[in-house]
Amino acid sequence: MSRSDTDLPGTVGVIRLVATRELTERLRSKSFFILTGLLVVGILAIGGISRFTGDDGPDALEVGIRGQASEELRNAITATAARVGRDVTVTGVADARAALEDFGFDVVVVVGPRQVLTSGAIDDQVLAIIQQGWATAAIADGLAQLGISPEQAQAVLRPEPLEPVSLDGDDGGELDGLVVLTGTFAAILLFISLQMFGSYVLQGVVEEKSTAVIEVLLVRARPDQLLAGKVLGIGIAALIQFFVAVVAALVSLVISGAEVPSEIWSAVPMTLLWFLTGYAFYSTLFALAGSLVSRQEDAQAASAPILTVLIGAYMLVFVFGYIPDSTASTVMSLIPPIAPLLMPMRMAAGAASVVEVLVALAGLLLSTFLVWKLAGRIFEQVLLRRGSRVSWADALALARRR
Amino acid sequence: MLLVNGLTKRYGDLLALDDVGFGVEPGQIVGFLGPNGAGKTTTMRAIMRLVALDAGEVTWSGAPVDPTIRQRFGYMPAERGMYPKMRVRDHLVYYAQLSGLDTTTAGRTTDDWLERLGLADRGDDPIEALSSGNQQRVQSALALLDEPDLLVLDEPFSGLDPIAVDMLSDVLREQVERGAALLLSSHQLDLVADVCSAVVIVDRGRVVLRGDVAELRASSPTRLVQVEFASATAWQPDAPSEVSDDGRRHRVSVAAGTDPNGLITDAHSRGDVVAYSFAPPDLSEVFLGVVGRETLDDPERVMAEEVER
Repeated sequence: MSRSDTDLPGTVGVIRLVATRELTERLRSKSFFILTGLLVVGILAIGGISRFTGDDGPDALEVGIRGQASEELRNAITATAARVGRDVTVTGVADARAALEDFGFDVVVVVGPRQVLTSGAIDDQVLAIIQQGWATAAIADGLAQLGISPEQAQAVLRPEPLEPVSLDGDDGGELDGLVVLTGTFAAILLFISLQMFGSYVLQGVVEEKSTAVIEVLLVRARPDQLLAGKVLGIGIAALIQFFVAVVAALVSLVISGAEVPSEIWSAVPMTLLWFLTGYAFYSTLFALAGSLVSRQEDAQAASAPILTVLIGAYMLVFVFGYIPDSTASTVMSLIPPIAPLLMPMRMAAGAASVVEVLVALAGLLLSTFLVWKLAGRIFEQVLLRRGSRVSWADALALARRR
Repeated sequence: MLLVNGLTKRYGDLLALDDVGFGVEPGQIVGFLGPNGAGKTTTMRAIMRLVALDAGEVTWSGAPVDPTIRQRFGYMPAERGMYPKMRVRDHLVYYAQLSGLDTTTAGRTTDDWLERLGLADRGDDPIEALSSGNQQRVQSALALLDEPDLLVLDEPFSGLDPIAVDMLSDVLREQVERGAALLLSSHQLDLVADVCSAVVIVDRGRVVLRGDVAELRASSPTRLVQVEFASATAWQPDAPSEVSDDGRRHRVSVAAGTDPNGLITDAHSRGDVVAYSFAPPDLSEVFLGVVGRETLDDPERVMAEEVER
């Protein structure tokens, strides 16, 4: 067999070979399937649980009317309630007290003495609906007595409603429940994926060091090629799992009975983008941690600082993710290790401007590049080192020495 | 040919390699021998560019070894260097492809080697399911797969049973016959001396002996007389000697020019001699003669090499 130098696999060829091996081995491992299965079951369970326990917004309002009620009063209350997004049933009742106490009515309108009865304190919104309905019905009644036809009265009494518009693009302070759910889902998924696939990279590097495979590999490929192939191959496995999880999340949403919001279709690619960049950043750090140790037992200790940062960033999501408009949240979402987790939430809430997103992305990509260069330098010096763990301080000193 | 010249490597206070130099020609098997910790592994790793040297150079056909030249070197590390969970066949094909073979050739070559090493039916097993002897065979196949110009094998025989040693020896002789240069290390001097046409013996980072095995033994200033009696016999010849525990076998060290007849006659007068021999000493004894001590492993140096490398 004779070969010329041109037969040697180039950088792209080596990376492709290494990535293919990583992907194949990953797809063959039982643990990958078990973890993916658990993730899917977990996501579906959230949907199932929220269907049975979750609230689908405020309950339908049950309104009773005691006394002589016009058709117009029923219609007016129903129409007013619909305008603020509440279902309502309006029923005539004979006994106001029994209706409230025994039949679960929320409120009873007593026509004669013009009273609104409730068993407890009355909700402001409910009161407003009833008052508005009452007023409308009373005006309609008056108009009819003045000889105005019901059709003409309708035109006067049901004007087109005002549309709420906010000058700073905010449609109303309070975060939509579904937006919070979507953002939280994204953050959880990102955290699990970054942590899981980061540790695959970590274990992969440690395996190569602890078994001396690295010695055999390094006579055929450069450290940066091996790193790129590994991160890429495991990244593709991660993407596959990620898609499975997203599909499960959509199915879960359907199970929960909630409407699938249109925001999802922009949230999915955005989450994906943040996953890819976040994965590139964190997995390189995990690979670096792996290169510092020679035994799987030491891997946890070496990766602890990275895991701490990742978990910290994740926890910040639950602090700053719910106040996406605040300055603190904005600043936090621009910090590279935090951006991939917090920014998707702020984007889902519509709180992040395009400039902020681009700045955060650029920062993350730049730091990934720097970490990559650093890893390349440290790799060459520590990959073949056996024995005890190299501390992060020593590793950084090694990188500086060159 | 491979030329190793003036290799020097310092690990802290320890001089791991001290001006190590030798050559390996195509068609030649050179045994790289010495106690554990003598610097064999460091030298072999230096040849494969896995160690940054303080001084010295390694050339192949006159050119300094670079990654391109190294692609034509096959390497087997002292430790098993394989993915434990990867399937045997996949592992070999993967490495063959990294070595530059296309998918088809890599597959065919792998199957040939599995057949040759008696592992044809183990191709789908994960590496970790193999016995250590079989893992060793796969490891050697990794080094041999793409028929390299130079083979650098660190302790290829360790852990092998005698049948496997013979099998691997045959495979290595074939490689040399097709024109490969081969450097293999062992810390058991006498075990591989008969596979090698030449040896380089290192001790404490220095080359202490180098040359043709037969010539080295012949050039020794001593000869070894071995006499075996039918029963335990007290015999004290006028030369340094050793007696086996049962008192039957005596080993006497004499000067190379000595006529052994007088000694044998003397032995006959003491008891019933059933066998005797007169031969140059083994390599380990040649080593002892040169270095003044036995080829003991050097724990301190072993440790330093393990940790630092």
